[in-house]
Amino acid sequence: MIAIRFEEREKIGLQYALETLHGCSPFGIEKIRRLRFYAPEERAELEDELYNVEQAARYGEEFKAVYDKLCMLLCQMKEIRGTMRRIKNGDTPDHVELFELKNYLQRMETLIPLVQQVDEKAQFKNLAFHDPAVALAVLDPENTRSRGFYIPDSATQKLREIRQAKKQIEEQLYHAVTDAEKDELRQRRTRICAEEDSEEMKVRKAMGASLAPLADDILEDIENVGRLDFLIQKARFALRYGGIRPQITDGELELIDMVNPELVDLLAEKGRAFVPVSIQLRRGATVITGANMGGKSVAMKTVALNVALFQAGFLVCAEEAKLPLFHSVQMLFDDLQSIQSGLSGFGSEIVQFQKALGEVEQGYALFLLDEFARGTNPDEGAVIVQAVTRYLNGVNAISLLTTHYDKVAENANAHYQIIGLRDVDPDQIRNELKATGDDGIQVIARHMNYGLYRVEGKADCPRDALNICRMLSLKPEILAQIEQSY
Amino acid sequence: MVPELEKALAGAKTMSIVGMCKNAGKTTVLNWILQNTGRERVLGLTSIGRDGESTDVVTGTEKPSIFVPEGTLIATAKDMLRLGDVTKEIMATTGIPTPLGEVVVMRARSDGYVQIAGPSITTQLKAVSELFFELGADQSIIDGALGRKSLGARAVAEGIILCTGASYHMSMDKVIEDTLNIYRIMNLPKADTLPPEVEGTLEKTLKQHGEALVNGALTDTMVVPLLRSGVLRGGRLVVRDPSKVLLKPDTLDKLQTRGVALQAVDAARTLCVTINPVSAYGWKFDKDEFRRRMSEAVDVPVINVKEALK
Repeated sequence: MIAIRFEEREKIGLQYALETLHGCSPFGIEKIRRLRFYAPEERAELEDELYNVEQAARYGEEFKAVYDKLCMLLCQMKEIRGTMRRIKNGDTPDHVELFELKNYLQRMETLIPLVQQVDEKAQFKNLAFHDPAVALAVLDPENTRSRGFYIPDSATQKLREIRQAKKQIEEQLYHAVTDAEKDELRQRRTRICAEEDSEEMKVRKAMGASLAPLADDILEDIENVGRLDFLIQKARFALRYGGIRPQITDGELELIDMVNPELVDLLAEKGRAFVPVSIQLRRGATVITGANMGGKSVAMKTVALNVALFQAGFLVCAEEAKLPLFHSVQMLFDDLQSIQSGLSGFGSEIVQFQKALGEVEQGYALFLLDEFARGTNPDEGAVIVQAVTRYLNGVNAISLLTTHYDKVAENANAHYQIIGLRDVDPDQIRNELKATGDDGIQVIARHMNYGLYRVEGKADCPRDALNICRMLSLKPEILAQIEQSY
Repeated sequence: MVPELEKALAGAKTMSIVGMCKNAGKTTVLNWILQNTGRERVLGLTSIGRDGESTDVVTGTEKPSIFVPEGTLIATAKDMLRLGDVTKEIMATTGIPTPLGEVVVMRARSDGYVQIAGPSITTQLKAVSELFFELGADQSIIDGALGRKSLGARAVAEGIILCTGASYHMSMDKVIEDTLNIYRIMNLPKADTLPPEVEGTLEKTLKQHGEALVNGALTDTMVVPLLRSGVLRGGRLVVRDPSKVLLKPDTLDKLQTRGVALQAVDAARTLCVTINPVSAYGWKFDKDEFRRRMSEAVDVPVINVKEALK
């Protein structure tokens, strides 16, 4: 089972993605809050869900008004599962519970034709509802179709008699003159009211008994209402950020031009655009190298996010996607583990790694290591990461590492590099810096290409640090020294 | 006497019944309204917090329960439903939580007793009032709070019925003085235009504009020095609502004599004052004298609940 901790959700932008959803009904909100990932054994269900989301998104524009109406109805729904379960157990529902149930069923009466309207085109799979009329007939025996809930006089002969007697006494009470007369009537009235109460209770009990056999159907429908709610939200998400239904593979992962909605929005605010990333991963270790501030982690997090979205039944934020189903997703991010108490940053990294590796070896997994072993000296660190990489080649998982240690990449199955400043002329940047007087970091960020390219054969980490020194016009004496040592 | 009351009541679509103290006759007035107008009009009834218990929790005296006519809409906490004996039609659940359960709106399908525990927050009370009208009510009645807290009623109702009585204090002078004070504050005129908000000190704002909108409380320590120095003369002070006015009666008088206009943002008016000359604690006022003096003090009808509303 995939489990992603809250900090990790925040880190990879999954939390952000979930917060852009606006579940309407309590059932849909719960589905979003308690996000569930499909396991590899549930491939068929996941395929249905992805198909449904794709269809819902495809007709999102055409049926926009219908979706809005559906959302309005869903928003008006209240939590009635507790009531339904009690009814199923044979408990007697009270007036308010029966009211809420009637209310829910009336909303279902409006909702179902709307869903059918979309379904005619979209042909959703496994999304059907029972006719609420059967249960409504119990709650509204006279078919008044009123909004309120009321036990009608006609419910039992006795109730009719009691209510008539009550009315009569009230009439008499209204015209009564003497206190003694009033007192006597009041006492009679109290008795009648008690009788009414116990007769109504019998009726409520009978209603509960008639509803009990329908409880499972109603609970199943509620589950489907939650799914429908979530489905609409997923479709809207896909319309907002562009989503495609991935092809499910048996092991290989390929994401072409994927984006991370959180960063898309963040950069859009600053008037910049997210550069889509493409990557292809196979069983074994893949290493991403690149200069600092080059976007290695971003690429890794975007992979994690899209895998998580996919296994939660979302369309994937990419142009093209081929994805396998993972048993687990493990991530080690440099700034998450340092919170662990007692151990040094490096020590806790190793502890976390061991724990994650234990999980990874349980079944086909996605294992992400961001700047592993950065907390120790570079010589030792490089040796450690090289060994880990070699080991991960043999583990039944897709392992993705970012590093700027030397000679790690040659131990991996595949090597990606951030394009970074590869194609930029340092002179051009120096001139731009002089001309605009902008902050050097900003100018470099503007020219940085965050895209990935696949490195064939042996290649070391790019020497972008030296380039950056040149661009930022480091003191010439020092620069000369560096160039000599290279 | 009673036609006067009926006329006064007809003037407000939403009204709140507030009291100077316990046993002032609030529930008597409420029941009178329910019995006398609730059959021709659909009334929506709720309370600020809990009310309507059949024995007064504080004094142990027998209190009249609330008896509604058929057709009345009632907003009360779910746990209170079973303590009433009307035939219920549940009309809406509001999502407003109280310690006694969610506030539920029901329609009385027979006459009968109800126990009311409504919302305690102004915005929620307003929402419930709106719901009443949506469900077909002609008039909404809020069983309001006591003493100074009752001043908040102005924010939720256009019309106020102020109930006072001998239970408030042994001295009739004191009862009349304090009732009058609440009455005056309650009846602050509505500000047609809003003056600039206080920036820095009240004095500075007044010197600059000659008028000011006071967002928080208006106290003696703020006002008295300005009265002395003459900054306030002929000026205008606006408060958000009457409950923000914490001025002594004496200071209120002075404001009046110096020609200072004291106003509130929202509008409400007192429809009538009811009196109960009998105290729950054992003493009694002379009913005629009490009524005469109260009538002299206020300019709305004064009604003796023990006599007129039998």
